[in-house]
Amino acid sequence: MGAESGETLRGGDRGGPYAATVRWMENLSETQFAYLLLVPTFLILGLIAFWPLVRTFDMALHADALVGRAQLGEYVGLNNFVELLTGERDALLVRPLLPDVAVDATFPFVHFDNLFVSAISATLIFSVVSVAFETVIGFGQALVLDQDFRGRRWVRVAIIIPWAVPIVIQGMIFYLMFQPGIGFGVDLVQQLPFFSFSETPLANPVDSMVIIIVADVWKTSAFMALLILAGLQSIDRSLYDVARVSGASKWQQFKYITLPLVFPTVMVAMLFRTIAAMRIFGVIETVSGCNVVPSLSCLVVTTFSNRMYGTAAAVAFLTAAIIGALVLVYIYNYATSGQEGI
Amino acid sequence: MATETPVDDEVDRGPFERWVRRVIRNPERAYRAMFYTAMIVFLFTTLFPFYWLLVLALTPFNRLANVGLFPNGFNPEAFVRIFEILPFHIYMLNSFILAAMTTVFVLVIASLAGYVFGRLQFPGRGPLMLAVLAISYFPPAAFLLPLFRLFNGNVTIGLFGASISSPNLFNTPWAMVLPFSALFMPLSIFILTTFYGQIPDGLEDAARIEGTTRLGALFRVIVPLSAPGVATAGVLTFIMVYNEFFFSFLMNDGQIPEMLYESGKLLYLSNENHWAPLLKGILGFQGQYTQLYNLMAAASIVGVLPVAVLVVVAQEKIVSGLTQGALKE
Repeated sequence: MGAESGETLRGGDRGGPYAATVRWMENLSETQFAYLLLVPTFLILGLIAFWPLVRTFDMALHADALVGRAQLGEYVGLNNFVELLTGERDALLVRPLLPDVAVDATFPFVHFDNLFVSAISATLIFSVVSVAFETVIGFGQALVLDQDFRGRRWVRVAIIIPWAVPIVIQGMIFYLMFQPGIGFGVDLVQQLPFFSFSETPLANPVDSMVIIIVADVWKTSAFMALLILAGLQSIDRSLYDVARVSGASKWQQFKYITLPLVFPTVMVAMLFRTIAAMRIFGVIETVSGCNVVPSLSCLVVTTFSNRMYGTAAAVAFLTAAIIGALVLVYIYNYATSGQEGI
Repeated sequence: MATETPVDDEVDRGPFERWVRRVIRNPERAYRAMFYTAMIVFLFTTLFPFYWLLVLALTPFNRLANVGLFPNGFNPEAFVRIFEILPFHIYMLNSFILAAMTTVFVLVIASLAGYVFGRLQFPGRGPLMLAVLAISYFPPAAFLLPLFRLFNGNVTIGLFGASISSPNLFNTPWAMVLPFSALFMPLSIFILTTFYGQIPDGLEDAARIEGTTRLGALFRVIVPLSAPGVATAGVLTFIMVYNEFFFSFLMNDGQIPEMLYESGKLLYLSNENHWAPLLKGILGFQGQYTQLYNLMAAASIVGVLPVAVLVVVAQEKIVSGLTQGALKE
């Protein structure tokens, strides 16, 4: 460091620009020094997050340029948003790679005549259902891990491993399971009494949605379990001793001590997971493709690869706005609960 | 059981009923049984998919049709073929290098930020931390379009009359490392803030009195003393980058360098700067070799192994890091 400066103040000592920089840094006030050290962090976040967010909004105000070299058309104000929300843009949302499969608005849980609204509903249905199952299963896993037993370490490893599986491999596992001809999953689900799956579940939107939810629950319940486990372990054990002495049954202990005390943690974990679940893209892309289950992120990528940059930016911005609203709830909780609690 | 009332003897029909009766008298047993049942169910559901991948990978190709829950024969050849059909090892190596680059990058920058948030008092601390927190929740889809243009050299800045185009980074590691860093840096910052904040002030003061610079105190005293925290942040960042989908999928064209050697001489080289990660290798099997399910399964197993080993080795760090990052902050 500073070796190339050539001139040294004292023999053997480092000098020149290096010494000057050090001296300058040492003389900064604490506030100045703090801001100096935060420069790299905010350079990266600014370049990769803040600037693109603003730019996305700006792009969303421009028309698509489907022909010609320009990437964006003329300024159209909020037209993209209006057309997306009213469904006027749907006719254009056709994918070029699969000419037979037009992205249509027939996502069947809720029938909307509007592709964008059905993307929102697909994303919401996925998020709510998967987070609900993850919470219940994660709670179960946390209760198991909270016990003392031999081999607890290895059970914990087994439960965490799905969390660490790359998304593309998670998708591949469920893609293979429900592949007609080889996957046992196809035979299995067709024997289910309460829900009839088609013979090619991965081409059917409802079946695919169920499979994708199962895939997500398999992978992320562990995350939920770890958060809830942390909540469980922060409960004062002496409360249970008091309860036992007073003759409370295990169920009563669970109902009157565990549940109320762990509830705030569960709420935060659910909010946290919902925010993450709303971004769903990778599993859908790997398991059944974005044309079968159109989530919001899927819609961004498909319009983007069709060179409909204005539309893509509008969808992206609306996605960010929806998630941003949830983030505000989280931040509000965070800010009001202070530094210590949850 | 005979010591019980006569009514009990009458209904005694077998070991199960006897067990049920004992459970009713002593509920502890029921909880014990529930616990073991739950544990076995959870172990089965989390591990079964891996077992089934192994079955699929070991089944010979011509017997793949209607493979059951046990392998139809035994043929480990798929584990060799995945490296021959596609250079799967190159994709994996790329993923390793990308993850390692991001980890180092994130640790250095997050150390500076963690030091500031954990140890310094200054106006604006709260809002800045909130900004970092908020950004970590936004969907990557909201950043995609401008970043794609930026990394393809389509963004120009006018500077002193000359316009400078952004460098063409698409396909290079930077087009992925920069977004990965922004996505995963907030978690590391929060983990390191907690750890750095716990080092007693006296240690830092002592180092400063000895004549260390401010940055010297950070990197020679605070960081080494917080080694477990740095390791936690590092392991989590590595795993999350290795697992990332969105930018790994969109910020490269799936190509890796193609080289043709003849008698030690390089004859042909194309795509020299293309850095497609593991994800494109796996999807390559799905896209190009649609029937070779045993290869997809084998590639998935090989792709999972590194993170599985990391989880076994560093599970304590992963558990503490994840819970801290999400709950404490």
